[in-house]
Amino acid sequence: MNISYNWLKDLINNELSPEKTAAALTRVGLAVEGIHAFGDDQVFDIDLTSNRPDCLSHLGVARELRVITGREFPAETQSRETEATDAVPFPAILAPDVVKIEDPDLCYRFTARIIRGVTIGPSPEWLVKRLEAVGERSINNVADITNYVMLELGQPMHAFDLDKLAENRIVVRRAKTGETITTLDEVDRKLDGSMLMICDAEKPVAVGGVMGGLDTSITDETTNVLLEVAYFDRSSIRQTSRDLGLTTEASYRFERGVDIEMLDQASNRAAEMIAELAGGELGEFIDVYPNRQTRPRVVCRDISAAVKRLTWLEVSIAESVRILEALGIRNEPQEDGSHVFTSPTWRHDIAIEEDLVEEVARHAGYENIADELPPAFGAGEYQEFEGRKKLLRQRLVDLGYDEAITYSFIDTKHDGIYETIPGLIDDRADEKFVTLRDSVIEGAVRMRPTLLPGLLDSVRYNLNWQRRDLKLFELGKVFAAHSDEIGLPTEREFFGLALTGGEVLNKHLEASRPLDFYDAKGAVELALEAVGFPAAEFRPAEVSHLRAGQTAGIYIDGGLIGYVGRLDEAISNGYKFRSPVFVAEIDLDDVLSRNRSNVTYRPLPKYPSIVRDVSFIVGREISFDMIREAVIDLEAELCRHVGFVDSFEGKGIEPGQRSITVRLEYRSDERTLLESEVAEVHERIVGSISSSLNITPRI
Amino acid sequence: MADERATVEAAREAFDRDFEKFNDLNLNGASLSDIEAMRREMGEIKVRHTGKKSALAESKKLIGKVAPEQRGEFGQFVQSVEKAIVERIDSAESALNQSLSKAKTEAERLDVTIPGRRPRTGHLHPITILRQKIEDIFVSMGYAIEDDREIETDHYNFDALNIPPGHPARESQDTFYTTDGFALRSQTSTVQIRAMERRGVPIRIIAPGKVFRRDTPDMTHVPMFHQIEGLCVDKGITMAHLKGTVTEWLKRMYGEDTVTRFRPSYFPFTEPSAEFDFSCFKCHGTGRVSGEQRAATSKEIDGGELLTAHGSQLTDRCRPCKGSGWIELGGSGMVHPNVLRACGVNPQEYSGFAFGFGLERMAALMFNIDDIRHMFENDVRFLEQFR
Repeated sequence: MNISYNWLKDLINNELSPEKTAAALTRVGLAVEGIHAFGDDQVFDIDLTSNRPDCLSHLGVARELRVITGREFPAETQSRETEATDAVPFPAILAPDVVKIEDPDLCYRFTARIIRGVTIGPSPEWLVKRLEAVGERSINNVADITNYVMLELGQPMHAFDLDKLAENRIVVRRAKTGETITTLDEVDRKLDGSMLMICDAEKPVAVGGVMGGLDTSITDETTNVLLEVAYFDRSSIRQTSRDLGLTTEASYRFERGVDIEMLDQASNRAAEMIAELAGGELGEFIDVYPNRQTRPRVVCRDISAAVKRLTWLEVSIAESVRILEALGIRNEPQEDGSHVFTSPTWRHDIAIEEDLVEEVARHAGYENIADELPPAFGAGEYQEFEGRKKLLRQRLVDLGYDEAITYSFIDTKHDGIYETIPGLIDDRADEKFVTLRDSVIEGAVRMRPTLLPGLLDSVRYNLNWQRRDLKLFELGKVFAAHSDEIGLPTEREFFGLALTGGEVLNKHLEASRPLDFYDAKGAVELALEAVGFPAAEFRPAEVSHLRAGQTAGIYIDGGLIGYVGRLDEAISNGYKFRSPVFVAEIDLDDVLSRNRSNVTYRPLPKYPSIVRDVSFIVGREISFDMIREAVIDLEAELCRHVGFVDSFEGKGIEPGQRSITVRLEYRSDERTLLESEVAEVHERIVGSISSSLNITPRI
Repeated sequence: MADERATVEAAREAFDRDFEKFNDLNLNGASLSDIEAMRREMGEIKVRHTGKKSALAESKKLIGKVAPEQRGEFGQFVQSVEKAIVERIDSAESALNQSLSKAKTEAERLDVTIPGRRPRTGHLHPITILRQKIEDIFVSMGYAIEDDREIETDHYNFDALNIPPGHPARESQDTFYTTDGFALRSQTSTVQIRAMERRGVPIRIIAPGKVFRRDTPDMTHVPMFHQIEGLCVDKGITMAHLKGTVTEWLKRMYGEDTVTRFRPSYFPFTEPSAEFDFSCFKCHGTGRVSGEQRAATSKEIDGGELLTAHGSQLTDRCRPCKGSGWIELGGSGMVHPNVLRACGVNPQEYSGFAFGFGLERMAALMFNIDDIRHMFENDVRFLEQFR
């Protein structure tokens, strides 16, 4: 809102300099964002909060200055009556012949002033300048005057060419089905039954409170004017303005709220100016006011105590009352020392004691409030899982992973492509996913049931910038619908990662080796270890978005918590990935809510152990785990551990076969074992698993 | 005895012949393999001339055969010859060993400026870095960290926050809705309500989390971002406590000389309401940065390129605060009595303050990020700048 310093001086005897005025206004919440010179004037650019439509005018700003300076308004500014206008009220009984409000729920009050014999022409220079100072363009004398009065008093108004109104009368009603209007901006607008129209005897002539119609507007030929000054329901104006996609200075003010008791004063002010600057004779003034609103009254036992209780500030009752009265808040002192304050008609944000406290406090000055810490309370605490999530993040960062944050909404094209982790989707629900009504990113209306599409988009983005060696992870919520219709959707925190390219050493520009499945698996193992689960199991799995044979289900205590594997070929091709991409996703909420086993110390062995390696030539159907379990199942007394050494395929091994080497550790708790007894047990174990798995040890 | 003496002389001469090339040994410029070859040859000479089967060893056996009266003299003679040979071999060996060790050291000299061998480490997202830092501060001040749902009912997103149906903030086109009519929370203030319902009062919480607004992405807008919300409700809480708490936190973030400024404002869920600013961390509230500071800034940004000074222009408008000296950070105020009532708290008995701010904005200011969309592109070139 642009406010002219000189214009303010017309309204209140303000002796502060423009700079001091700006600082004083900013201090009380009317943030002056800038001051610029216009001729001999200084213009403030004030950033107003939405609760202060009363300051969308010079009068409103002057009221704040009244509190700041302690000056009174000159008599003419205060007055609601002016002598030049007709003192004889228009007979109420005849009013409906000229103005009829059919929908008082949307139009609380409507005034019309008839002015005959005007001459439309240019405005005098002082008026043009004043409008230009605050950024308004001059149109003609009558239009300029309506603008001027709006900027001065905050009340929007509209001038009709009286002779173009059918039967020279006004009907205020909702639009009828099929009605249209061409507004002043020369746009044809379709109306609907929720919109309030100013009509003549036949048709809409203005969108009430938003914009006038083109056909009935003032032209150079206009001689007789009907000046509309009215008050409309705020939310109705907001809705209509939104539905029409049309915001005007009028709608902006009406939807925030104007001063319903100022209508006559504003109308008179404009009428006088028209008579003076455009000639013409003031005619009838019709005031239809079917919907009077009661003003909120606040009973205040001790305003000073209330201010102190909430703000710490010590402001006396007298000073508090001075501030409130200067703001136009009516004060009725009661015999018991309390006060009853009534919100002025131009303020729509004062209804309770706390509102009055704010008014007093902002004028007493927030800068005068001390800095104090609240008294000691209790011990601070992080969220239940935060400590472990911090460890998980750090572990991945140490391992070379960068943390990604991707949008929670993804494209519906990913539907059905990614297999979600069991437990997220409610199979009984008709609709499995959570969907947005619309999005600001085209197509992204699905609340993600998986982190993977976001991570893969990020991989793609980086590849586009020639970053080929990538390790990304994300912690974030995923969403799914719920079969319980009133229940809120399911939200769970997942952990995902994606990697591609090669293993990169710090500051080495060429990767040392290509990443593979075991890098992804290793990262998952480390992540789970960091949050307290060092013994997750990985079992071969079939998952739709992962490549067959390079996919594992991840289990903790037998429960499936997620998947890891190589991204499916078709999905990969869709992203134009040239190198294999590996992904993993884990239901982190599930993992973190599981019980961790306590660490118990095991005494160190007293006698040395002897190890023996054995290699087997096996086909793909035999896994390391099968060999390991076969050994364990034998429960050989001296065999303490079976571990992985190496898996090799290629030279010297038949195609489709590989050589897998495992290491068996033998130890006794009673004595040092002899080579010979180990040899015997080892031979028996190797022989036994060779026949049970039907595999051949390599000599 | 003459025969024996001749044998010894012969041994000496044979040694002299073999050793000839090691006289006046000059190893300057000799290669590692040359030295190694010479060292090998020297080893052989040593064995040949001083070993058990050497002529010298044979000569020593002759001592016993010499007539007893000449034995002493002959013995001395043999010993002197042996001593001379051993000394010459030892000295040549020592010279060779020294050169060998030197040449080896030279050959194994490393370029210690080549990057060390360690995995490339990753990076936390700047939002995580900031969030953790702020959480640490508030936990140390006795606050509990809370978060809650991201998809909410209108009750938690609006009604309970004193934004009734018909309120402009509610009807604005800011909020995402699901097809089932749930809202993506448009501010973390929802956690105030959830936490008060769960924990009751008194309460002190900090709620970091994602929020959603229907803004089309551009340099300064994104449809998803992070907020941090603070709430303190107890008996006797005033705006002084709000100011003190926010100031203490910002001092710990940006240094002891940080000051704050509270300006009257409007939010539906607080009354009175205030926006808060803090003195710029870069220019310390002066609005100007010296050329030196500016150069340091550009060094941070450009990774090593020092900005050249422009003649006499020694100061420049400070970037983060746009020269005002103040950084506008967030909104705050005393919790609106309707909000307290919605959580079953009696506003006559309890009062509280709340504040909130956007993490992306804070990060953009601190790290001088010009395009907020970078936050969610996950460009590694972006992410690896933060630690």
